Amino acid sequence: MNLASPLLNAATHLLECDEREAVLGDLTEAGESAWRGLLDVFGLIVRRQAMLWKTWQPWAAAFGLALPASFILMGFSVGVSSSYITGAGLWLLVSHLFLLIAWSWTGGFVVGSLSRRTLWASIAASCLPCLFCLARFRGSSLPRFCLLIFLAPAIVGICRGLQMTRIKLRSAMVLAVSVSVLMMAAGSSWTLEWILIWPAWYLVVEARRAT
Amino acid sequence: MLGEFEYLLITAASGLGEKAYGAAIREEIANATGRKCSLGALYTTLDRLETKGLLKTWMGEATAQRGGRAKRMVRVTAKGAQAAEAFYDAVTRVSRGAAWVVDRAGRASS
Repeated sequence: MNLASPLLNAATHLLECDEREAVLGDLTEAGESAWRGLLDVFGLIVRRQAMLWKTWQPWAAAFGLALPASFILMGFSVGVSSSYITGAGLWLLVSHLFLLIAWSWTGGFVVGSLSRRTLWASIAASCLPCLFCLARFRGSSLPRFCLLIFLAPAIVGICRGLQMTRIKLRSAMVLAVSVSVLMMAAGSSWTLEWILIWPAWYLVVEARRAT
Repeated sequence: MLGEFEYLLITAASGLGEKAYGAAIREEIANATGRKCSLGALYTTLDRLETKGLLKTWMGEATAQRGGRAKRMVRVTAKGAQAAEAFYDAVTRVSRGAAWVVDRAGRASS
């Protein structure tokens, strides 16, 4: 059995529907071998990806947001879990939980909307710190999954971001202001945490641009 | 100013007229240049030229010869024809004094 034909068929699924149709038709018409066709299709996929990376959005999503944010959010996830276990004040726990969800959701939303066709790279950039921390995590009393609490709201945010590019100005404004105020009220002194605020304000800018 | 491959693609599509689509353009370019044209180069250039407004593409009908798959049809726009003409004129002008052009002109006149 020729292995190249199913590989070729699978590879063309990485192309858009119309392009897949045209490419498979062209290959059939040209009577090229499946291996030659596979090379051609890979060439096209690589060129398509390379063209996407000529804009700033995939870079910002993968290396400006997914990579640093997942690293910081893992630390914050552990912080929230510790607050819960040690029985810290209710206000502190609720505000930290709100911040964790808001940061993760807005970050996921912006990653999804900025890098629809390069999402694989953003996911890979996010997985790197996750795997690194999971491997080195020696939590005293906390299970390892505490590191990944931020993933649930982030995934929901990514899914929403893939469906739409922006949210309503009013919602974006309320979200950004409440996160900023809460950060100040909670006394976020760790400078790195302020990196996590840019997705919320980016949503405001995008919503404002649309109106 | 067009690039060399962009010019080849527009000229091949223009020559094919109503029958211009991916595989036909590829074959035309391969016949003219003696080199195989990759699908990647063809389709990314088609996209670029369409974005610049030099071409228009749409999905055509499916044929049995293509395993029931649709064609990506191509039509050169007026702007595309203008750009190709400008490229051709520039190449013709710059080639006037070149040895191979002078030799060929000499052989043709003798």
